[in-house]
Amino acid sequence: MSATLLSIRDLRKEFPVRLGAFGERAATVHALDGFSVDIVEGETLSLVGESGCGKSTTGYCVLNIQRPTSGSVIYAGTDIAKLDDDGMRPFRRDLQIVFQDPYSTLNPRMTIGDALAEPILFHGLAPKAEIRDRLRQLLADVGLSERFANRYPHELSGGQRQRVAIARALACRPRFIVCDEAISALDVSVQAQILNLLLDLQEKYGLTYLFIAHDLAVVRHISDRVGVMYLGRMAELARAEALFARPLHPYTRALLSAVPSTDPRAARNRQRLQGEVPSPLSPPSGCRFHTRCPLARDRCRSEAPALREVAEGQSVACHAVASATETNWENSPA
Amino acid sequence: MSALLEIRGLTIDIERDTGPARVVDGIDLAVEEGESLGIVGESGCGKSLTMLSLVGLLPNRIRATGGSARFAGQDLLALPQEALRKLRGSQIGFIFQDPMTSLNPVMRVGEQIAEALIHQSGMAKPAAMERAAELLELVGIPSPRDRLMAYPHELSGGMRQRVMIAIGLAGSPRLLIADEPTTALDVTIQAQIVDLVRDLKDRFGMSVVWITHDLALIAGLADRIAVLYAGTVVEDAPVEVIFDRPTHPYTRGLLASLPTLTDRPMTRLPSIGGTPPEPGRRPPGCPFAPRCTLAEAACDAAVPKLAAVPGSDPRHRVACFVTAGEGGRA
Amino acid sequence: MTAGPIITPGDDRPGSLWRDAWRRLRRNRLAVAGLVILALLVLVAAFGPWLTPYDFLSQNLDARNLPPSMAHPFGTDDLGRDVLSRVIYGARTAFLVAVLVTAVALLIGVVLGAIAGFYGGAFDKGLMWVTDMTMSVPQLLLVVVINASLKQPITLWMEARYLETLNPIYRNSAIIDFVLVFGSMALISWPPYARLVRAQVLSIRNRPYVTAARALGLTNRIILTRYVLPNAAGPLIVAVSAGLGTAMVLESAFSFLGIGVNPPTPSWGNMISDGLRVWTNYPHLLLAPAAVLAVVTVAFNFLGDGLNDALNPKGQK
Repeated sequence: MSATLLSIRDLRKEFPVRLGAFGERAATVHALDGFSVDIVEGETLSLVGESGCGKSTTGYCVLNIQRPTSGSVIYAGTDIAKLDDDGMRPFRRDLQIVFQDPYSTLNPRMTIGDALAEPILFHGLAPKAEIRDRLRQLLADVGLSERFANRYPHELSGGQRQRVAIARALACRPRFIVCDEAISALDVSVQAQILNLLLDLQEKYGLTYLFIAHDLAVVRHISDRVGVMYLGRMAELARAEALFARPLHPYTRALLSAVPSTDPRAARNRQRLQGEVPSPLSPPSGCRFHTRCPLARDRCRSEAPALREVAEGQSVACHAVASATETNWENSPA
Repeated sequence: MSALLEIRGLTIDIERDTGPARVVDGIDLAVEEGESLGIVGESGCGKSLTMLSLVGLLPNRIRATGGSARFAGQDLLALPQEALRKLRGSQIGFIFQDPMTSLNPVMRVGEQIAEALIHQSGMAKPAAMERAAELLELVGIPSPRDRLMAYPHELSGGMRQRVMIAIGLAGSPRLLIADEPTTALDVTIQAQIVDLVRDLKDRFGMSVVWITHDLALIAGLADRIAVLYAGTVVEDAPVEVIFDRPTHPYTRGLLASLPTLTDRPMTRLPSIGGTPPEPGRRPPGCPFAPRCTLAEAACDAAVPKLAAVPGSDPRHRVACFVTAGEGGRA
Repeated sequence: MTAGPIITPGDDRPGSLWRDAWRRLRRNRLAVAGLVILALLVLVAAFGPWLTPYDFLSQNLDARNLPPSMAHPFGTDDLGRDVLSRVIYGARTAFLVAVLVTAVALLIGVVLGAIAGFYGGAFDKGLMWVTDMTMSVPQLLLVVVINASLKQPITLWMEARYLETLNPIYRNSAIIDFVLVFGSMALISWPPYARLVRAQVLSIRNRPYVTAARALGLTNRIILTRYVLPNAAGPLIVAVSAGLGTAMVLESAFSFLGIGVNPPTPSWGNMISDGLRVWTNYPHLLLAPAAVLAVVTVAFNFLGDGLNDALNPKGQK
């Protein structure tokens, strides 16, 4: 087992919001509620879940782009969750992010070359004389010719822009990249290109990824470990093979069953998860999934289940799952 | 069965400062009575514009410049705006992509549904509200009578899309056009919406055209799938044929690049290199030739016509010089 | 920081948003007409001394109130001065006022608006309060009040300074006019710019590319100057084009009321004011400056509209 790169402990994030036509009611969105995980050097950890599950908030809080309400993120012996903008600056080189929408993450008034050169010059990672070589190499890394350096973002296709966004994240030679729905906005045939590119770059530079997605099928191709999140909490965390071969949490099973099948005959006969994700403004008591769970019992309504290891490399937060083998799936949705 | 909608040689141009650019380049499509057709393609392939042109809802500076679209005996492209307006919401229902922006935020959802009924079929308001409640119940909204008085922002994304579907169904249309109605929704909600539309179609026997970029999504919904690339239909076949014996190299590439739950983890997905041509910059021959691994000299010279695949299903048609002959095998 | 192209060889499309906007602007006939008129105005203002057929001050009492003729295309005024020459010099005044006032107002507006929009907080609240107050008082009234209340004390102060230092600069009363008129015009002109910039910055500071820049560890100053402000430039250019026209009209209005540029320096406003008194007998004295002012104002509006369409192509028909 390799070394732990980032150690995340009990991360919480709450957003105050104003409700009502005149903002007369104050309320709190519990976006992230006690998130803990160790991210291992060189691995890809994926977080999946529906909107409001806190997966993107996790990515932002780990990088301190959004300040966590409490909890710690230990990187290189420092708790970066407590740092302000200035304190965070030296760590930004190592910890990078690629956003979802390639159409809006590039400054429309800057050429691709300027956009890529800026972080290098700002952090003083290469002298000005070597910038040209560095740009050529960065563009080559993401499969673009150096002619793109003089183009503006609006002249590029979505896939090309996402390649530029990845090159920009790579510009500082980072160790860790958060991919926040990095392929969700792309066309199907381009998604595969970008996924493969991410895998190539990981091999070449030994990168560690936190890959955030809503689509379990996509995650399967890139992940060493997968965390399934629901309403700000981790429902299941497991090695990818185990999770897909033997999903234990009822929500994981429901998510898997919602993945569209490419077999037209199989696709017509499946059970669906009913209802919708409750509002994170007033999350359900106890286990937050109990309102949609086919296995819900009284205990689930009052007591939140803790994430515990039930099999080698597989942890579940569910009262109904006793162990990997002893669960009764008779009434389950999948 | 007879064709409810028959599109022939449809062309659509964008008027640019530099002159017109062709986005839809001679599309032939037919939808039978009671059939559900899936139109699949990547962004910019012209799938949405094709359907918008039928009901006269093309954006400014985009125009249908040729071809015909016969719906129940009349050519939609030749109809005046007033006649098209009457058709929209009565004979043809439309569901848009983004339920967040397609509903009027300052109007209660009940009134929005009722409005369509009042204007289209001259219903009185109380009767229209009654029918709106029925429609909400039909699309699976719990306690529909209470929800009539809700504003769109009080509903979740999935609920809003259900309201959009209720509006689309308000005039009991013969054809329901769904333009990527689940793209903005969560995966578990997507599955619910697909199931809902399939149930409604089976119940009312209407025809459905479902536009999407996600082949897998409509595997369980469509009877037939038309694959669009750069403004042309490259393959058109019953759904099982598309998935079992995809023939056009683009269809094959799309299917291969779909991540599925049966792939081995941590493996590279096959991908199609390059990007689709931009409108106005399409190559002289087959539009897919520059990205195609099977392309031959003939592909760059002429545009292949959509033609029946010998030995395959009689409804299986493909536009490819290279693979058309092997469609029956595989 | 880097600027301009870094890699040049083999690039065939040095495209730019500004180039696209320029192409769209050229296709708009009214905007081009406005641009041509304003370009002529700039040339006339710049080369005024070489263009005018007569000195704008020299009086010819034998040729008073002459109607337009070959020798005097716009006629002469009650002191026998050539009206065309005075209109041309008036263009210099109008242009000088418009550019100076707009530049000062723009500088104040951009700096304050950007800081308020980007950092928010108490500064933002305070600034909004000040702009609301300024914009809720009628502009002319404000300027009249400022001029009326400050002219006396400033004159007295300058007098005292002169007696103290004997520096002749304190005797030049034109400076007082200049500072007061321009200062008060800039004072009433900056709040709309500040509000516009603030609104732009508010919407841009949450765009993903700004978050992306923060994720790279860039400082706020770099983010504000290189990511936020360049993207706010479009609406600002439109506002400046309209603002220049407004400033010209404003200057004319002040001069008309006698609180602007003082005679004998020609200004369209004081020419209109003079012409109005005798317009039944000598209509050309009113029509010439009024027509020029009208044409220039319309030209600025055409240009502003054209710029708006060119920089926001999505709003186009």
